[in-house]
Amino acid sequence: MAFVPIYILILGFTIVIDYFAGRYIENADGKRRKLFLIFSLVANIGVLAIFKYYNFLNHNFSFLMHGFGLSNPIPYLSILLPIGLSFHTFQAMSYNIEVYRGRQKAEKHFGIYSLYVMFYPQLVAGPIERPQNLLHQFREKYDFEYERVVDGLKLMLWGLFKKLVIADRLAIYINVVYNNAAEHNGKTLILATIFFAFQIYCDFSGYSDIAIGAAKVMGFKLMTNFNRPFLARNISEFWKRWHISLATWFKDYLYISLGGNRVSIPRLYFNLFLVFLISGLWHGANWTYIIWGALNGFYLIFAIISQRIRNKINRLTGIEKLPRLNHLLQILVTFTLSCFAFIFFRANDVNDAFIIIKKISTFGGSIYVENISIMIYSFLGIFILLFVEFKMEFYKGEFSFFTNNSWVVRNLSYALIIILIMLFGVFDGGQFIYFQF
Amino acid sequence: MINSLFYKIKNNPIEYFFLKFIALLAMVLILDYSIGSIFSYFYFNQESGLQYRTTYSIEKTTADILIFGSSRANHHYDPNVFEKRLNLSSYNVGRDGNFILYHSAVLKGVLKRYSPKVVILDFTYGEFKLNRISYDGLTSLLPYYDGHPEMRSIIELKSRFEKYKLLSHIYPYNSLLFTIAVGNTEFNKKRRGDFKGYVPLIQTWNGPVQIDSSSTKYVIDSIKIKAYESFIQDCIQSKIKLYIVCSPYYTKFDHPDYSVKLGQEIAEKNNIMFYDYAKDSTFTNNPRYFRDVVHMNETGATIFSNMLIDNISKTNEVGVNKMRTTLIYQIDRTKANVITSAVH
Repeated sequence: MAFVPIYILILGFTIVIDYFAGRYIENADGKRRKLFLIFSLVANIGVLAIFKYYNFLNHNFSFLMHGFGLSNPIPYLSILLPIGLSFHTFQAMSYNIEVYRGRQKAEKHFGIYSLYVMFYPQLVAGPIERPQNLLHQFREKYDFEYERVVDGLKLMLWGLFKKLVIADRLAIYINVVYNNAAEHNGKTLILATIFFAFQIYCDFSGYSDIAIGAAKVMGFKLMTNFNRPFLARNISEFWKRWHISLATWFKDYLYISLGGNRVSIPRLYFNLFLVFLISGLWHGANWTYIIWGALNGFYLIFAIISQRIRNKINRLTGIEKLPRLNHLLQILVTFTLSCFAFIFFRANDVNDAFIIIKKISTFGGSIYVENISIMIYSFLGIFILLFVEFKMEFYKGEFSFFTNNSWVVRNLSYALIIILIMLFGVFDGGQFIYFQF
Repeated sequence: MINSLFYKIKNNPIEYFFLKFIALLAMVLILDYSIGSIFSYFYFNQESGLQYRTTYSIEKTTADILIFGSSRANHHYDPNVFEKRLNLSSYNVGRDGNFILYHSAVLKGVLKRYSPKVVILDFTYGEFKLNRISYDGLTSLLPYYDGHPEMRSIIELKSRFEKYKLLSHIYPYNSLLFTIAVGNTEFNKKRRGDFKGYVPLIQTWNGPVQIDSSSTKYVIDSIKIKAYESFIQDCIQSKIKLYIVCSPYYTKFDHPDYSVKLGQEIAEKNNIMFYDYAKDSTFTNNPRYFRDVVHMNETGATIFSNMLIDNISKTNEVGVNKMRTTLIYQIDRTKANVITSAVH
C-alpha cells in the first residue's frame, strides 16, 4: 500500500462533479434532471471502472482474443487502486440518487459536501453512509458529552481488539495455508477457512467499530455496519447483519430499482442473483469475488425455492419441537454456507479455490500446526469474540463488564482489554483487508 | 473537602472524563508493570528451550567458540565436534528465523561480558535482501531491551515506534505467554533438547532436488550490510578470530547470490576468511545429509563440522591470503538501496 498524493485529485474530481450534479439535479425537471443524474453516475462509475476494473476487463478480453488466435491490441494501465475508492464512490452516488429521488436537498456548502464524502473515520472502508443520516450532522454543534465520548472510545477499543488480537493473529495461519493450498490437506484447509471467516469479520467489523467509535467521540453517529452476522439463522438474515451499509445500498439503489419484490418470480430470482453478482464484483476485480457474490445469490434463491420442503423436513424430523437445537443448527448451517463461499473470497485464484474445495471434500490428513502458540492464541481470540457476541445476542440484559454499575469492574474490564491487546495483539504491520476495496 | 471537589469535577464532563481517564491509565500502568514483572521473572527463569538458549547466549556463556547464524547455523554446527577437535569450549548461538541484525545485537551483548576466542558466522543466501522478516525477527530480543543498552539501537530498528512500545513492560513478552509457561515446566526439559545450543535434526530428506531459479536481482538492505560490517568490526576490535561460512544447501542455485558476493567482498576487505560451501558437491548430491532442502540433518552436520575444522586448520597453516577465494563478480554498489543506517 502506497501513498500517492496525486490520487487526491481523483477524489477532488468526483467531489466537484457530484457537488454540481447535485445542485443541477435539484434545480432541473424531467429529462434534464435524469440527465444530470446519469452524468454524475457515469463519472463515478467511470473512475471506478478505470482504476478498479480496466485491467481486469482487458485481461479477460485478451483471454477471449487468444481463444480466437488473436492478440489484444489494448494496452494495460500501470495504475494503483486508490484506497477506499469503492467506498467513497458509492457514498457519493447515494447522495445524487437521493437528491434525484427528492429525499435529500442538494448541499449548497461545498465544504460540507466535501466533508460528507471525505469524512475521515469512514473514508477508506465505510460504513457507506446515506446523506440523510450524515449531512445534517455536519451542521450541528457538539458539546462534550461524557457518555458519548466514553461509548465511542469503548467501541474503538473493542475494534482494536478484534483487529489486532483476532484478525491479525488468524492471518498468520491462514496466509501460510491459503498461499500454499495445494500442499495442505482437507482438515487443515477447513480450519483455515473457518479461521478466515473470523479473520475477515474481525478485520472489517474491527475497522467499522474504530470508525464508528472515532466519529462518536466527535459527536457523529454513523450507521451500524455489522450485527453479529455469524449468529444469523439463514443467509437472508446474514446479509441483514453483514456489511449492512453495503447490503442496504444495493437494496435501496439497485434491487428496488430493478423492481424489488414486486416482480414475477423468475425476475425476482434474476434480480437477486444480479445484485449479488455485482456485490461480488464491487469487492474486487477478480473472478473469485464474482463467484463469491454469485454463490451468495444462489444461496438466497435456493432458500426461497426450498422453503416449503425445508419446513416439511422440519415437521417430519420434529426439530421444531426443540427450538434451541433448531436455532443452533440453523446458525451452524448458515455459518458453514458462508465459510464455503469465503473459500472463493480468500483463495488466490479460482483454480486454487477449486483445489481447496476438492481437498476439503476428501477430509484427509491431520491438521497442520507449525506453531502451537499461534493456534492457542487464535482459539483464545475466537473464544473471547464468541463469548462477547453470544452474551450480547442472547443475554443482553445480564451481567456486563463494560457497562457494569461498579466503577472498578468497568475500569478493570477496559484495562484488561488493553492488557490483552498488548499481550496477544499482533503488532507487525498488518493492514485492514477492506482498504483494498 | 475531597467529596466536594469530586462532585465539582463530576459536574464538569470534561474534567470528569480526564479524572476517569487518569484513573484508568493508572490502572493500566499498574497492571502493565505488575504483569510485565511477572513475565520477566518467568522468562529469565526458564532453564530450557529456545528463549533460554538466547538468554544463555547473551548473558551466561563463556565458551571459547561461538557459532552465530539462523536455523541453518543452529542445525549445521555441532559444538561437540569443535570441542573434541580443537580442545576449545563451544556454544551454538544460532536461532531460527533470525539473521544478521539479530546476530549483530547478540554479539554486542556477549562482548559486554567477555570476548570469545573464535566466532563462526553462518551466512545465508539472500542475507542482505530487503525484507520485513528480518526486522520482525528482532522481536525475540525485546525482553533484553531493558537490561542491554548496547543492543537497543538494533532492536529499535524493528519499527519506528519500537522505542515507545517498549515503554510498556508487557510488550516485550507479547505472544510469549504459552512458551514462557511451558519453558518453566519440567516437561520442557525432558523434550528434545539441545546440545550446547546445537539442535540436531533427525529425519532424512527424500524429496526431489530443488533448483532455485528465483531472480538474482533483489533490493539490498544497506542496514543489513552495516550490521554485517559492524559484526566484523566488533570481532576485529575484540581480537576475535572470525570465520564467515556459507554452509551447504540441498537446493541448487542456478545463479550467483548477490549477498554472498557482497559478503565475500566485505570479508576480504577486512582480512576475514569467507568459506562458501553452498554448492559443495559432498553435500549437494547427498539427500541423506539433509532434513530438508536448506537444513542438514545430524549426519550432515557432523560431517560438515569436521570438514570446516579441517579447512580452518589448513587455512591457518597455509595462510589466509593464499586460501582466499577469488571474487569473480564485481559488486555494483550503486544498485544497492541506500537506507540511512541506525547501526553503529
